[in-house]
Amino acid sequence: MTGRTYEQSKPLMTPAQTAALDAQRRRARLGHNLRRGSIYALAVLLAIWILLPIWLITTMAFSTPTDVRAFPKHFFPIPFSTQTLDFFLNTQGILNSTLNSLVVALLALVISTVLAIPAGYAIARYLFPGRDAIRLGILSVRAFPIVVLAVPLAVVFIRLGMFDKVHSLAMMHAALTLPTTILVVASVFTSVPREFEEAAQIFGCTRMQAFWRVVLPLAVPGIAAAAILTFVLSWNEVFAAILLTISNRTLPAQILYTLDKSGDPFKFAGGFFMLVPSLIFIFFIRRYLFNMWGQITK
Amino acid sequence: MKRGHFLLLAFVAVLLIAGTVFAQGDTITFLSTQFNVVEEAEKARAILAAFEGGAVEFVGSEEAAMIDLLKAEAQTGAGTVDVIGALHGTFPTLVNEDLMFDLTELLASIEEGTDVNDAFVQLGRMGTEDYQYYIPWMQATYTMAAHKDALQYLPEGADINALTWAQLAEWGKAMQEATGEPQLGFPVKGLFNRFLQGYAFPSFTGGMVTKFKSEAAVEMMRFLRDDLWPYVNPESINYDFMNGPLLSGEVMVAFDHVARLKPAFDERPQDFIAFPTPAGPAGRGFMPVVVGLGIPFTSPDPEGAEALIRFMLSPETQGAVLRDLGFYPVVSGVDTSNLPEGVAIQLGAVEALANSPDAIPALLPVGLGARGGEINEIFRNAFDRVVNKGEDIQTVLNEEAATLQTLLDETGAACWPPDAPSEGACQVE
Repeated sequence: MTGRTYEQSKPLMTPAQTAALDAQRRRARLGHNLRRGSIYALAVLLAIWILLPIWLITTMAFSTPTDVRAFPKHFFPIPFSTQTLDFFLNTQGILNSTLNSLVVALLALVISTVLAIPAGYAIARYLFPGRDAIRLGILSVRAFPIVVLAVPLAVVFIRLGMFDKVHSLAMMHAALTLPTTILVVASVFTSVPREFEEAAQIFGCTRMQAFWRVVLPLAVPGIAAAAILTFVLSWNEVFAAILLTISNRTLPAQILYTLDKSGDPFKFAGGFFMLVPSLIFIFFIRRYLFNMWGQITK
Repeated sequence: MKRGHFLLLAFVAVLLIAGTVFAQGDTITFLSTQFNVVEEAEKARAILAAFEGGAVEFVGSEEAAMIDLLKAEAQTGAGTVDVIGALHGTFPTLVNEDLMFDLTELLASIEEGTDVNDAFVQLGRMGTEDYQYYIPWMQATYTMAAHKDALQYLPEGADINALTWAQLAEWGKAMQEATGEPQLGFPVKGLFNRFLQGYAFPSFTGGMVTKFKSEAAVEMMRFLRDDLWPYVNPESINYDFMNGPLLSGEVMVAFDHVARLKPAFDERPQDFIAFPTPAGPAGRGFMPVVVGLGIPFTSPDPEGAEALIRFMLSPETQGAVLRDLGFYPVVSGVDTSNLPEGVAIQLGAVEALANSPDAIPALLPVGLGARGGEINEIFRNAFDRVVNKGEDIQTVLNEEAATLQTLLDETGAACWPPDAPSEGACQVE
């Protein structure tokens, strides 16, 4: 074989150039790793920001009262104790009010979502007289302080025979969250291209079918987010719950609003008690939120 | 699938609501602003379980929510609440709204068997001659508590049961010098306004309101700022219940409401002592707190409500409340032998305080109605401006006194003890 061997060939790059390229690559890789690293660091930081208090509440809820008061706090609940949690579980009315809270929150979620979907869709898709006024009206309801309504509200509920009922509190909570829910749902529908709907109609769907089969599935993540808002608001709401119930109190009305007057062990146990059901709920509804993120990355 | 989940959710909700029992019926509903903290409510329920006249639903409430609910029930005429338990200071609003039954006859029949404290019965008439708006239920006050380790630093010759405020300051100084940390604690985030109204002002000036800007009041503020506060744990601004800081060892000596000190004595009675609050130049100011029971006009079961009040005033129930909840009886004949150690320690301090020869009982503000909260702010502001912000004492007291006078004039509130009775609105001298 004649000709020049590879070694003999004139190098494409001088050694200096190669080195420079290597350095550049290294820098690029470093930069990439740094960016990646900082994203991870940020994610970890965010996770810690959320998880650390939860962890603290959990460990303290399972510690003995003496350990709860001790400083510095233990990182693990050793010795393990369910003393304060037992107290909560055995407190009269706690389990019942937990159940009430769940019913109220889920019912409020259903009422609010069922009403918000058509309302949000109408605001997002239709131009009708008074549309802006309605949007503004919805927002201004949100700004209205419910406290000044206390007595009239109770009067109306008593007159209608709805006082001290779980479902009437759920209606109240739904009313409180509806403005936010409608606006969130409306913006979700706005983000679904109208062309999809039109395409569905071209292929033979009725307007209703197009909504049901095309728009709604695309909007589910946003609706789920709005639903979580409703759930969390209802789960934490105290004012209406105290005003409108006597026997059928929700969990926050039963314990949350006096928790700051309790000793530290009870604060942690109560906090844990409030935390767990909502975590379970969010775990359940999480997949819908992930759907939303999934669509973005796809 | 996704839609299915939402439907499932709705279905579960409907199932849950169907399964919830709507507890209604012939229970007696007892709405109380006291014992609304979960661990106290549980003890109160245990005591109420002994009531034989029917099931009692004990519901804790906040003052504002209670007033709103009673107003709403009065407007509709349909009530759920049978008995209310509230501080003396809550009743003026209920009286103004004319929501409460006259309990004179009930009280008379109770007094056939048990003697109810006359001073408190008088308070329950809310300034009227013959309308008993509430029947006294229980009383409490504020005392000092100290870890036993603190006693070694007590100034020489000081009697712990007859301390002066100056001695307390000296004690605080000695503890700080010995331990390197300020060891006095006050519930500045908690009921601190009561410290100013019922303890500081009466001890130094002999009054609560009338001597608000007197020379004695100036001297008191100077004492708090220069002599006492340097030895007070700066964390005090975050303290609302002093049992926590005492138990955790953050402070060795503290002032608070007996019920808010109680857990420390319950948990470690061997470590803590209770003693009367100190005295000032004018005497030993202290604030008895009175809680009353009333029946709203809208009570669905007034007879059951009366039976429940009768039960609450029996010496046995009063003894149980003392043992478990740390509020003191208002009737005679309560068995105070066999008390738990911690309760006995606290009771000793309360009795020493009430019976001390220089005691000046100072009542909670009377007659301010719905504006009762404003007077608390005036006292807190005065303290805050002098001690924390370092403003001139006389200027601050003059300015806050003007606000105080406006409040008194607008509500027309007459002077209440320890200030001498007045014709018309109480006047700051």
